[in-house]
Order: sequence, then C-alpha cells, then structure tokens
Amino acid sequence: MASHGLKDIIIQRRKNFPARDFFEQYAAQLELELKTPPESLRTLISEPDIHRPGLAFAGFTDVFARQSIQMVGTTEWSYLESIGPERRREVFDRLRSFECPLWVLCHGLLPHPELLEMCQNQNVPLVVTRKNTAEFVRGVNRELEGWFSPFVIVHASLVDVYGVGMLYIGASNIGKSECVLDLVERGHRLVADDSVKLVRLGNSIIGHCDSIINHHMEIRGVGIIDVRSMFGIHAVRKVKKVEIIVELQYFQENETYDRTGLASQFEDIMGVKIPSVVIPVLPGKNITVISEVIAMNTLMKQAGVDTAAEFNKSLMKAIEDKMARGKEEDNIFWYRQISGFYE
Amino acid sequence: MKIRTLKVINKMGVHARPAGAIVDITSRAQSDVFLIYGGTRANAKSILNVMMLAITPGSEVQFEINGSDEDDTFQKLEKLFNDRFNEEHYDP
Repeated sequence: MASHGLKDIIIQRRKNFPARDFFEQYAAQLELELKTPPESLRTLISEPDIHRPGLAFAGFTDVFARQSIQMVGTTEWSYLESIGPERRREVFDRLRSFECPLWVLCHGLLPHPELLEMCQNQNVPLVVTRKNTAEFVRGVNRELEGWFSPFVIVHASLVDVYGVGMLYIGASNIGKSECVLDLVERGHRLVADDSVKLVRLGNSIIGHCDSIINHHMEIRGVGIIDVRSMFGIHAVRKVKKVEIIVELQYFQENETYDRTGLASQFEDIMGVKIPSVVIPVLPGKNITVISEVIAMNTLMKQAGVDTAAEFNKSLMKAIEDKMARGKEEDNIFWYRQISGFYE
Repeated sequence: MKIRTLKVINKMGVHARPAGAIVDITSRAQSDVFLIYGGTRANAKSILNVMMLAITPGSEVQFEINGSDEDDTFQKLEKLFNDRFNEEHYDP
C-alpha cells in the first residue's frame, strides 16, 4: 500500500548525552551527589551503556568502553580497598589515558582519593549515588535507551481512541485534522496533529507531540487552535504507543479494499511491524465512527478475538456440514426471506 | 440481462476469501449482479449475502447480470472461478 507520511522517512538518533543534562535531570531521582567541581560536567556520554571497570582496575585495558558511564559498585570498590593505596595509584595512573564521561559510585560509597584525584585532573565528573547498583542500572538504562533511541518525525496525526494509539496517515487535505477534531469532540485524546515524533523503544513505537507545537492544530479556514485550552486537559495526552496505522485514501475505482478483515496488513516503522488499515474516503462518509470501530476491533484482536477469522471458521464448517449431508438444500426458506429483504 | 453458469472448482467452497474476491469484481460493475444458488437469489455485491449461501465445492452457481458491462463482468468472474479464486495452487 502506498504510504503517505511514512515514505522516505529519515531515521535520526542522538549522538551523545551531555553529562550536565544527565546530572540535572536525574540528580534528584537517582540521589546523585557531585564530588568534582561543577565545571567537570562538560563531558559527553556517547554510549547508551553502563560499564563496570572491574577488569580495567585489574589491569586489562585492551578492551575498555571509555565512552560509557563507569559504574563502581561494591565489588569494584572492595577490590580497590583490598589492593591498598600504592597499587590504587598504579591503577589510576594506567587509566589516566582514558577520559571517561562520568564516574559513578553506588551505595553512597566514599570515593578513594586516587579516583577523585584522577577525575579532578582530567576534569571529568565523579558522582556518588545513594542507590544500589541494581537500582541505578535499572533507572539509568531505561533513560539512556530512551535518549539514544532512533526516532523519526512523520507527517501524521496520533490519537488515543479507547486507549488504542491510532496513527493517521494520508495525503494533505484528505481530512486527517478534521477526523482528529471529531474524535476529540467525542471524548478521545489528541497526542499530536500533523507532526508526530515516533521513537522506537524495544519492539514498540512510541509517539510524542512536539514540545513547541504541543496540542495546537491548524484547521483550514479557522487557523491555529489549542485543543488543550479549548477542550480541556482530558482531551490531550503527550505520549502514546502506536498500535494501529490508519491510512486515509481518496476512494479509487481500481484499488482493492479489504472486505473480510482476514488479510492482515502491516506497516514497517524503524523495523517494527504495526497493523495497518486503508480506509477509502468518500464525501459524507463518517470516518470518526469507523475509527472507533477500528479501535474496538484492535482491542478485540489484542484480547485474542479475531471476528473475521472466527466467522470464516463457522462458515467453512457450515459448508463442510452441507457436503456431509449430501448437498441437501435445507434452509432455502430462510435464504429467500433474507435475500428478499435485501432486494 | 444474462444468466450464466459457473462451477466452483476450489477445495474449500465459497468461504470468506473467495466471497471477498467475488464482491471485489461485482461491486465495481455498473451492472446489477445476482448470484443464484440452491434456489436462492442473492445480491452478489454484498459479501454477507454471498457468504450466507455457503456454496459447497463442486457446485454450479448462476450469475444473473443486468447492465452495460455484463459481458466484461462475467468474463472476470469466469476467470476468478477457473483460477480457483487465486488461493489454491494444486491440481486435483
């Protein structure tokens, strides 16, 4: 299917995470305390990993993730404690040639003076967290993954309909914004109109609104409106996972539209497959109510109910039963009633 | 108006997918199209009408086509039936 909005998308990725931003954002949450001067927060974290420098302390530095956050847990700290000040000095003399973006001590441990001195000399930050290693790793990994995740900006609209994230794509002027406005009016929640930032987190695509546009929309003939102030806080949300893609398309004579719902279609966004449907748009057709039906159908499929497949199963059973009975033509009266009704 | 007969030669009969393929042709036609089977005349442009006939494999069905593009529509239907609704690739 031709996909407006998802064609030729440029995947972007952040190259680094400034240590200053990291510290300011997570100081409270991760109970961080900076042991080096504030100027040391000039470094850039450029790997989304946490490295434990145990092997480097023991002397193996051939492979050393120097771009990562270096985390000193109880194991590493106890090792440093056990070898005494002389050999500690040797360890940090050897590590002097590697400039790491951030050193972290867990459990509120007291940094050894040799480590502190190296950080001060290199002018790189050393922080102490009150959290234990597992808590720190869990918290930081999630944030680093989010920060370094690939993302795209697409021309589309994202709405939460009955809790289902529906991403609308289609040519300009096809009525995406009008559809979105109609859904908001019926009590559904706008994430972003016209421009959506999609982030890949694991095997999910998460949609965000732009921090400048927020929940403003442009309605042709009216201008810019703010959905949040016009409809209220319940009409908007900032983040929603994309669960189905709805492509609005001008009705085309030659295009084949799915009549049964048996054929599953998918769209690929940054390697994640997301179910998609194509809805032909005709004047006077109510896309809003169709959207709600798509959302409810998606919820049913997520709950393991595939109506189309089940219907077909019972139809095939009816055909088989009929074969087994030797094609006797029962139910004719009933068929006549129905077909008479449709005529 | 023309009434012509086609034979269902696929393995499973006219279940949802073949019904969808039939409706895909008939719904584009300018002509009115009806499907006559087992003494019942159903609107062939409605997928539910076609499916409720529960047409068994090996059956003969009649298409009643009335309109400007009746020959063209019938040819497309004939090809679809002969191709076993494009869903099976076996020789019985």
